Amino acid sequence: MTVTLVSVLFAGAGLTALGAFIAAWKRELTAALTGLPVMFAGAGTAFVGVARFGVASGAPLLGQEVAILLAIAALSAVGLGVGLAGREGPR
Amino acid sequence: MDSLHAIGFYVSAALAGVGGLLLAFLRGHWRRGAALGLTGIGVAGIYASLSAGFAAVVVLVCYAACALLVARPDYRTVEQAVGGYWRQLGALGAALLLAALAYAAFRGDFAHATFYGGAFGSVSVGRLLFAHDGLATDAVGGLVLVALVGAAMAWRRERPRDEREARR
Repeated sequence: MTVTLVSVLFAGAGLTALGAFIAAWKRELTAALTGLPVMFAGAGTAFVGVARFGVASGAPLLGQEVAILLAIAALSAVGLGVGLAGREGPR
Repeated sequence: MDSLHAIGFYVSAALAGVGGLLLAFLRGHWRRGAALGLTGIGVAGIYASLSAGFAAVVVLVCYAACALLVARPDYRTVEQAVGGYWRQLGALGAALLLAALAYAAFRGDFAHATFYGGAFGSVSVGRLLFAHDGLATDAVGGLVLVALVGAAMAWRRERPRDEREARR
């Protein structure tokens, strides 16, 4: 059993498509927003896979850096979306 | 890559996929938060098995925070104005996206290189983040700060509709 760049990209493609499905399918906006971290996770998986298997020269950790950036951007997007939705009921 | 890392990769990918599916079909705030947390654990496992330990730690923290935000019981439910027809078209588009990405991954001719980094690579990551790309790190910090301040302000803001209802 081994892992290649193709299998990593398959996993990334699955996560990206799953996130797009969540964003398109959910009727509630805050629930649809949760598709964004899943999509970003798929993109980050592809970047980490390329950094692990495909970089021969240059900055080998650039893919990991982009994955970290995507995770932080996902947190920011979810925080902003939930904050914009506001609280339920009188405070 | 040895068998242990390969098993870790496939188990983590399955965890992330199951978490995403649960996120798509479960109802309720805390259930969705738990599903997003499961997805985060899976993604962190994928990164860790691909020798990206530092990214795995960051992803675990970020997705745990996302899960806590989503699991909050007291945020508003905002319904989309888009009808079911367009949502079904969007779901079909997601399936087409999966087919296109899977075909590109399967047919791609990628260069393979030997990986010399360690499992965690903290020295290399630190050098990359704080020496080579210091400005990008500052930009990410600014992005997080603006987003969290905006979220806090929007959370605490008194809404005009609430004021009208409170005066009645």
